[in-house]
Amino acid sequence: MNLKQRITDFSIRHYKAVTGVLVMTTVMVMLLAAVPSIWPETFTAFNAIKIDTDPENMLPADEPVRVFHNQMKKELSLYDMVVVGIVNETHPDGVFNPQTLANIYELTEFAKTLHWTEEGREVGVVEVDLIAPSTVDNIEQGGPGVVKFEWLMPQPPQTKEQALAVRQKAQRIPFLNGTLVSEDGKAICIYIPLTDKHLSYRVYSELQKKTATLSGDEAYHITGLPVAEDTFGVEMFMQMAISAPTAMVVIFLLMLLFFRKLVVVISPMIVAMVSVILTMGALIIAGFPVHIMSSMIPIFIMPIAVLDSIHIISEFFELYQQTKDRRKTMIRVMDELFVPMLYTSLTSAAGFASLALTPIPPVQVFGIFVAMGVMVAWLLTVIFIPAYIMFVKPQTLEKFGAVHIPDQDEHTTLMGRILHRMGMGTYRWAKPILAVTVIIIVAAFYGISKININDNPVKWFSPTHPIRIADKVLNDHFGGTYMAYLALSAVDKEFVPEAFVNNFTQHAENRVVEYKADWPEAASVFIEIQRMATTSLKNVQNRQEAFRILSGLVDEKLNQAPDNLVDAWDEVSLFVAEQKQQNQVFKDPAVLAYQTQLQQALLETHIVGKSTSLADIISTVHRELFEGKDDQYRIPDSSSAVAQCMMTYQSGHRAGDLWHFVTPDYRKSSIWTQLTSGDNRDMTKVVKAVDKFIAENPPPVPLKFEWFGLNYINIIWQDKMTSGMLQAFAGSFLVVFLMMTILFRSALWGFLSMIPLTITIAAIYGAVGFVGKDYDMPVAVLSSMALGLAVDFAIHFLARSREMYASFGSWEKTVPVIFAEPARAITRNVIVIAVGFLPLLLAPLTPYNTVGTLLASILLVSGVATLLILPSLVRVLEKRLFTDKKVQGASCNCVTCVVSSVTMVALVAITLHQYAAVGWGQLVWFSFVAILVLALGCGFLSRRKKCKTLNEQEVTGND
Amino acid sequence: MTKKLLLAIFISIVLWVSGDVVIAETTKTAVPDTLSVDEIVNRTNRVAYYLGSDGSARVKMTITDSQGRQRNRELSILRWDQPNPDLSKEQQGKDDSYCGGQKTYAFFHRPADVSKTVFMVWKYPDKDDDRWMYLPALDLVKRIAATDKRTSFMGSNFFYEDVSGRSPADDTHELVETTKDYYVLKNTPKDSTLVEFSYFKMWIHRESFVVVKTDYYDKQGKKYRTYEALNVENIQGYPTVTKAKMTDLRTGGYTVSEYSQVKYDIGIPESIFTERYLRKPPRKYLK
Repeated sequence: MNLKQRITDFSIRHYKAVTGVLVMTTVMVMLLAAVPSIWPETFTAFNAIKIDTDPENMLPADEPVRVFHNQMKKELSLYDMVVVGIVNETHPDGVFNPQTLANIYELTEFAKTLHWTEEGREVGVVEVDLIAPSTVDNIEQGGPGVVKFEWLMPQPPQTKEQALAVRQKAQRIPFLNGTLVSEDGKAICIYIPLTDKHLSYRVYSELQKKTATLSGDEAYHITGLPVAEDTFGVEMFMQMAISAPTAMVVIFLLMLLFFRKLVVVISPMIVAMVSVILTMGALIIAGFPVHIMSSMIPIFIMPIAVLDSIHIISEFFELYQQTKDRRKTMIRVMDELFVPMLYTSLTSAAGFASLALTPIPPVQVFGIFVAMGVMVAWLLTVIFIPAYIMFVKPQTLEKFGAVHIPDQDEHTTLMGRILHRMGMGTYRWAKPILAVTVIIIVAAFYGISKININDNPVKWFSPTHPIRIADKVLNDHFGGTYMAYLALSAVDKEFVPEAFVNNFTQHAENRVVEYKADWPEAASVFIEIQRMATTSLKNVQNRQEAFRILSGLVDEKLNQAPDNLVDAWDEVSLFVAEQKQQNQVFKDPAVLAYQTQLQQALLETHIVGKSTSLADIISTVHRELFEGKDDQYRIPDSSSAVAQCMMTYQSGHRAGDLWHFVTPDYRKSSIWTQLTSGDNRDMTKVVKAVDKFIAENPPPVPLKFEWFGLNYINIIWQDKMTSGMLQAFAGSFLVVFLMMTILFRSALWGFLSMIPLTITIAAIYGAVGFVGKDYDMPVAVLSSMALGLAVDFAIHFLARSREMYASFGSWEKTVPVIFAEPARAITRNVIVIAVGFLPLLLAPLTPYNTVGTLLASILLVSGVATLLILPSLVRVLEKRLFTDKKVQGASCNCVTCVVSSVTMVALVAITLHQYAAVGWGQLVWFSFVAILVLALGCGFLSRRKKCKTLNEQEVTGND
Repeated sequence: MTKKLLLAIFISIVLWVSGDVVIAETTKTAVPDTLSVDEIVNRTNRVAYYLGSDGSARVKMTITDSQGRQRNRELSILRWDQPNPDLSKEQQGKDDSYCGGQKTYAFFHRPADVSKTVFMVWKYPDKDDDRWMYLPALDLVKRIAATDKRTSFMGSNFFYEDVSGRSPADDTHELVETTKDYYVLKNTPKDSTLVEFSYFKMWIHRESFVVVKTDYYDKQGKKYRTYEALNVENIQGYPTVTKAKMTDLRTGGYTVSEYSQVKYDIGIPESIFTERYLRKPPRKYLK
């Protein structure tokens, strides 16, 4: 007995024990995963289920862009926000009528109450930073020569005039117009900052309850990226509970239709269910969060798990009536299917495991766990299915399966007839079929060139979802609800004590000249401070230390100064303080003017609807200080004047608002950018526009420009995903090819088996390009799925073909046999899985729709590719494929050996590039040498004596 | 010599520990065992805002945000009180219920780029204040409408109203507790639409009438802002808060004000508190 027979024999003999162990393992895993999730406090030693819907986590937490994002958010006290849009399309004054404004006031007051204590920390709405008509300040003229600070809407207005005044005031303030109030006056947006974005669903639900109680003709729209993400998480969880089981039920019904025996059909269901439970259980127990990607693990594992079982049952179905012996039939079935099943599982697993090569953690977790699930499913199939059959009483199987009368039953069913004709067609019209295939490939590549790489978390919802509607309505009325921030930071120069002292004494010397005539005491102390600076600052390490020393020295002098020098030393003290402020670049009028220009460039993209910066605040304050005249909306001429405008601004109710735009050291500033689209593609355009502007207009002082904000993070992970996926796909393609070459002991057969999947992938992605569907995360991930499934069909088809060719001696005679049982199993698989996943199209979340559509397409295309193109190719290449030489070790075939070596080297190179960050230049040289050495090795190996003898002998059987 | 520290500006004073000693020594006036709520309120108001006939001090404000980042302000504050016409010169300040007009002149020394900025207030007993601001870099004197006094004092955690004093007439007062050392007053605004708090509680030292702590509660009854007197000194016989802290419990930011060179009854002329002196600071009083 060989290994496979022994395994089958074991599970048949000990079928009760096998089943018992399986049940116990499953129950254990379920308990380990479920119990800590239900009682997390009691079972702290174990991991409870964690849900993660945050697209930020597409990147590792230590990714520079995320570190910077969090650092800037902290430095500028920025929070993720829930956006509530209130739109009134019916009232002639839009939202600016007493009723609507009263409701907005009430809603704002309600929002302020949405905070809770969690683990001793106050969480929820950050009241001080809430942006609503009643919580923002208005600066305006309070009569001749008077400037006034007041709440924009301290109380809901009572009259039409008062209500319109709110609009008029808000639209005068650039940082409110297009942000808080829409320019058409029909809408107001309330921005509700949260201590943590994970609270957004809770806040969203509370707000929804509240708005339902408000009467009026206005509509309420709640949106914002955190809401979208959090809501997605909740709905994703519901989908997991609905989609996967629905798919299962549909698969079950189809199988029942094909095999008509409930007891037998249940077994693949058990395999699928147990595989899913074990995989998801392992995921939770290992402490990985259930991410949007990992939530799809069950959907990916199920078809693959069912696939192998269908082959077994199909075969069992065909053979059972010949012997009517469960055991004998099963051993025969397993003997035939063991190797193809092992390889199909290994290739699928390899395809998914290759996702570990992408630099995106959730995709890595997804890939590894699906790969694991596939292998679990394989193990269950080979061990449990035979054991399960032993439970089925022979009487129950009495009428099971086809009563095998050769050359007849194949033609009795519709499927049988169609397949038979199809097989004969491929023999007759092999060349036309291949010609059409070539045309399709060319067209597909044209489609691929048109592919649009883009993603947008809001578009994960279907167009009728309230979040999508809110998104559309609000972006129509406002400057955009998608926030990204452009951080401008002053560049720290290297500190050189001599240069510092020179610069300082130069400025002090200017004062000496200035005071010489009128204030000789001052001139003398300014000379003294130069001397002090020169002697005491020789060894200072940095600017801060230098000024600490200087102010200490001056304070000492000031305290001891004789009466006639007090004023002079006071002047020096002020001088030192002024010098210290020299590096506060964001008080420099030239820098602020540059910000304004940059904002103009942002607007010209027509993607940014609105941007707000420190320059806007200063200009507004300046205008109101000068009688509110429009021509005074500008940056004042000196940095002191800028500082005094800032202090004036800080005399309002929201002194802290300044620190959202500049850090207290005035060395970093951020421009708030509102995009009307959350598409990564659009964000990319904005980034490019800014790069271009900076290249053409260098800043007046050295500045560093860095983006942050969720919309920017999205484009970073998308870039990584696109390139990462490509490498992962290349890697898995090579692995699968290598495995195929080894399986068939021939590079030619290896190539052949790669054909259906290559065509499937080209066709699917070509279609994606033609249809204009964005290449987003689910689309990217499905390439691995296509690889895994399409190669399965090819393996089954080619392995069976080769075997049968050996008995029939010519392809012409083999075709009808291949297009009987093996083709039927493939067709059944295609139908069961494709139809099984159609329920995904009903989900309200587009990634699920995408997966459903693409899965069905992948199966269909790869099924057709396998059944049409492979036989046509075999027909054309018959002579080369079936040589007289018998199958021998792969190393004996020089071509196969060299091809395998090249593949292996390429694989190593890709992996090194990905993980060890080795440059391509080096890798190419290294690979070249490696290939040369291996080719020589192959030459020697194929000329070995053993190979020669093998060639001459007639070797039968390949196991 | 006598009288107040204008600057102490903030609502009150206290010292939980050593303050008691200072206060006990400085207040010799026998306090009747049972004071009415109004008497407590009036005397507290006088101790907080009306000590002496005038005063000056140098103030250093350190504003610390929730991340520990600090900013400084240094200013000189001059104060002048309108005398009570019903009392003789010696009797001035003895009538707690009298709150006359008051003029304040705040001159900024630092940060350097706002140096020479001046903020001036004329406070009236019966109408809204007049406020002026002089911005030297823009050479601009601007009047600021004072309809709302609960805005930030120059970016600090103190409000203008904390600096200039909230009129006792704006609130109803309730003595909620009398402890061994403190009267605890709960003050509820008469017009709640004008302010952001729903009420505030003051801990008033029973001997000195220095406010040692004030807690502000928001409309949901949650404490969100708190004032503490950190140091009290006896200056010219007046219990003077020389260090005070205002904390914004919502953001975690706080401002500490330290008073030095505190002087009372120096005879600052009323004429200084005029627009003319905004551009020409009275250097003599600002040392």
